[in-house]
Amino acid sequence: METAALKQQVKEQIIHFLNLTTVKPEDIKDDEPLFGEGLGLDSIDSIELIVLLSREYGITIQDPKEGRKILTDINTMVDYIEKNRTK
Amino acid sequence: MGLISAIGDSVEENRDSLQFERSGIDHIQFYKTAYAGRLPTAEVKHSTEALNKKIFGEPNPSITRTSLLALHAAGEAIKDSGLTADQLASTETALVGATTVGGMCLTDEIYHDALAKDHGTPYLTSYDYASVTMAIQERYGMLGEVSTINTACSSSANAILFGARLIRHGYAKRAIVGGAESLAKFTINGFNALNILSSKACAPFDRDRNGLNLGEGAAFLVLEKEEDCRDKNNYAFLSGYGNKNDAYHPSSNSPEGDGPYLSMKEALQNSGLRAEEISYINAHGTGTENNDETESRAMLRLFEKVPPFSSTKSYTGHTLGAAGAVEAVYSILNLVHQEIYPSLLFKNPIIETGLIPVRAYAKQQIKNVMSNSFGFGGNCSTLIFSKT
Amino acid sequence: MPYFHQSICISPQKSFPETDLSQIRESGNNLLNVVEPDYPGIPAGVKRRMGKSVRMAVGAALPLLQKYPQPDGMIIATANGGMEDCIKFLNQIIEYKEGLLTPASFVQSTSNAAAAQIALVTKNHQYNITHVHRGLAFENALMDTVMSLKEYPDTAYLLGCTDEISAYNYNIDNLAGWFRKEPVLNSDLFTTSAAGTIPGEGSFMVWMNNQREGAIASLDAVRTVHTEDPAMVLNMLKKFMAENFAPGEMPDMLLTGENGDDRLLKYFEAVESAFQDHVSVARFKHLCGEYCTATSFACWLSFQILTDGRIPPLVIKKNSSAKPVRRILIYNNYRGAQHAFILISGA
Repeated sequence: METAALKQQVKEQIIHFLNLTTVKPEDIKDDEPLFGEGLGLDSIDSIELIVLLSREYGITIQDPKEGRKILTDINTMVDYIEKNRTK
Repeated sequence: MGLISAIGDSVEENRDSLQFERSGIDHIQFYKTAYAGRLPTAEVKHSTEALNKKIFGEPNPSITRTSLLALHAAGEAIKDSGLTADQLASTETALVGATTVGGMCLTDEIYHDALAKDHGTPYLTSYDYASVTMAIQERYGMLGEVSTINTACSSSANAILFGARLIRHGYAKRAIVGGAESLAKFTINGFNALNILSSKACAPFDRDRNGLNLGEGAAFLVLEKEEDCRDKNNYAFLSGYGNKNDAYHPSSNSPEGDGPYLSMKEALQNSGLRAEEISYINAHGTGTENNDETESRAMLRLFEKVPPFSSTKSYTGHTLGAAGAVEAVYSILNLVHQEIYPSLLFKNPIIETGLIPVRAYAKQQIKNVMSNSFGFGGNCSTLIFSKT
Repeated sequence: MPYFHQSICISPQKSFPETDLSQIRESGNNLLNVVEPDYPGIPAGVKRRMGKSVRMAVGAALPLLQKYPQPDGMIIATANGGMEDCIKFLNQIIEYKEGLLTPASFVQSTSNAAAAQIALVTKNHQYNITHVHRGLAFENALMDTVMSLKEYPDTAYLLGCTDEISAYNYNIDNLAGWFRKEPVLNSDLFTTSAAGTIPGEGSFMVWMNNQREGAIASLDAVRTVHTEDPAMVLNMLKKFMAENFAPGEMPDMLLTGENGDDRLLKYFEAVESAFQDHVSVARFKHLCGEYCTATSFACWLSFQILTDGRIPPLVIKKNSSAKPVRRILIYNNYRGAQHAFILISGA
């Protein structure tokens, strides 16, 4: 899948998984921080997204701290998916 | 008092284990879960069938493990208190229970009953939190005020304080208070999903701690006004209590431990004691990164010199809804026997706070013990027990 | 003396944001569901995680807390709150065979989630507790508030409750025989005789303190008992009356939790037998349905009656009167096993 399309897909998945009912994919900028500022996600969300990566892309992340780095923004997240997906 | 946990079936047996530093944390023996063999827990060392038979003789088909543990501990407390059947049944005896799992230890049965269309399991009315307290109410035909509290890990601490207040305000003359908890896929998987379970035996307040171990147990205490039990075997006074909310995050404490600090401060204030009069703290000390660091910070904020402290969860695991009551009994044992118990498996202090818990069993002059219970949802409670 | 000030009730009837008790909103499929209002005060980031019972609780609490910003405590009751999230999490456990699971529904399923969220959103550090004792959870919360106001006379509390009809508790309670087997409308609940009732849901929040000024009503007394013996219920009622009324004195109105389950009529008959004909008798569960904290709806209804000075025809069972209502005795039982008496007077 092309990177642009994957980014779109990941945004839709994040919105659906985290029940962000007031957010549309076009509201999430690729380089906007997902945690703290930007989208304002928290520690429970980071765990949820690690589960998302496992269920949708077959990626296992053992260390939640490493997970936070991968989940910095859409760019880092999609980059990691492209390099490590098994699904 | 009455108590059953991974380290003993009675108050006496528990004390023995505490004194001789025998932990109850081990691999799962009885409960059926995919995590048996992978996550250490502190199970009560009896099957549910054995517990059922011991209490009912002819096994009760609709009672859950949590309720059985509650009945066991309440039974011991009632026997110990010398209350007569008439007193128990009277409208003047209150009962306050606590649990966070209730009958939900029966995951497969609830799942069945939640979806079945024509008939259910015998547990249909045994799933809710109240069913645990009701098991005691029914057994003794109690006609006084009855309540059940669920504030996550601080539940039974709040049950103790609610019972004390019912007496103080004339809703009851005496109160049986406590809590019970049993292992459940619900909590095992829930805590695991939050990444706060350790795959090793927990090491509260240690620099390299990496999570908690779940535990099972139940503890009940009989509370009476001083003038009503002068000629009885009195163990301790409940001299102070605090209940405050951390209001920071659903499942972790604020970095400076605001909720824990405010809860301990309030207990101290209404006990009339000065900080330096606290002889020992039975800390919440779950072994998670967040709790132990924030609880340490809160203690440093409140105490110029932090008193000796330890976490008995290193013996019993985290008994969730029962923790407040289990640790209340341990705090009272500190007072009765003038001794303190260590925090097991501690090696190095947390770098940021440098606090070192008690590391070995010792006899010690103890006048006032503070016991902390901090739960999800920012629910922080503290109890202070004092020597009679 | 504890006083009730402003309250908000989210119920299956028109109770919030506007109140209209002139006509009954009908049940559907033997359920009295709440039609949820918009909750503009709940931040989206927090609302996205909330199950219905937590949403209803927070949605009822926030408007009150805008008017009364920092209570000295939040005393909440819920027996089934969070059950929907419980079953969502259980579904995951089964579906993924205890594998990698998402924790959000576990965190939201805990009983204290409502009390915790209200404290979190308003950054309130004060006394915070959740009572969960089935049909007496709300009464225990009332007692807790009474005690708190005695201990600290200059304080104020947010008292409230919430319960939802979730797939979980509906199916289990249905299998246990608590609901009507045949289709029935809530408006016909008392004219059709059968075992079982219809479930309801809702939340209720009220501001309480010791100040009479501006108050709607006072909470005079609350007592409970566990028994299945109607004679014991009558006994407890007589004790309650002796403690709260002068000899021969009666409340103006008896508001009962009769719920259409004919197996439970004996309790209501026993209680009604203690009152003379000048006492109006009314019922409320055809409006809100049966749920553990339903007496909160009875309290809210009492506030409307005390404020309007009249009993809505919709709720009258017998002895309707034009006389002003000043004292209301609420009697409820949950499944014939948990009984409660609450006495409320106009302020």
